[in-house]
Amino acid sequence: MIKLFGAVLIIVATTLVGFEFSRHLSERPRQLRLLKSALQSLEAEIMYGHTPLHEASRRLAAQLAKPLSTFFHSFSKKLTDTETTVNEAWEKSLKEIWKSTALKRGEYEIMKQFGETLGRHDRISQQKQIQLTLAHLEREEADAYDKQAKYERMAKSLGFLSGLLLIILLI
Amino acid sequence: MGLDVDIIFKIAGVGIVVAFLHTILDQVGKKEYAQWVTLFGFIYILFMVASVVDNLFQKIKSVFLFQG
Repeated sequence: MIKLFGAVLIIVATTLVGFEFSRHLSERPRQLRLLKSALQSLEAEIMYGHTPLHEASRRLAAQLAKPLSTFFHSFSKKLTDTETTVNEAWEKSLKEIWKSTALKRGEYEIMKQFGETLGRHDRISQQKQIQLTLAHLEREEADAYDKQAKYERMAKSLGFLSGLLLIILLI
Repeated sequence: MGLDVDIIFKIAGVGIVVAFLHTILDQVGKKEYAQWVTLFGFIYILFMVASVVDNLFQKIKSVFLFQG
């Protein structure tokens, strides 16, 4: 009886690990899409609204969903409250938020490079920088979709099957 | 006799699960992992069978050579 209980526990645990992994895989393209729309709204704020950066990022924080809203919130807070450069504030907020996202190293580098250009140029070159970053993110998104389609089902069935194998080996 | 039937079922179970793992890993293009999984499953079962055969030889020795 206790053996059966242990077996069920093992299989539930490994299946949950597999599902968690596949959720992580499907979360990445979603967050990339969110990031792209955030940059597009930022572009609109800069180009058409002539909004200052801290105001624009506060508005973005109100519009967006969870992981990115905290990022823009802390960015605008750093800009208004502390004596710092845009680049520094951007990088610091990026570092704070990065652990709670499903994004990878490549996206981090892209966003960091974008932060280095932020607020340095006139509006036209700023728009060009945003377009460039969007193009980079587009590439990463295609890659993320590819990975999701490939590995999502594998992660699920691999979790279940490894649990089954473990049970058979232990019985 | 009970032990023998048990071990046959165990081998069958390991075989089925390892075969599934092999096909899934093969489908997503991780051929080398698939081969490693199959190899380890094979080695595990080989050890199990070896212990059973060892048991058999000990028994034969004790019957025909009149030892302990």
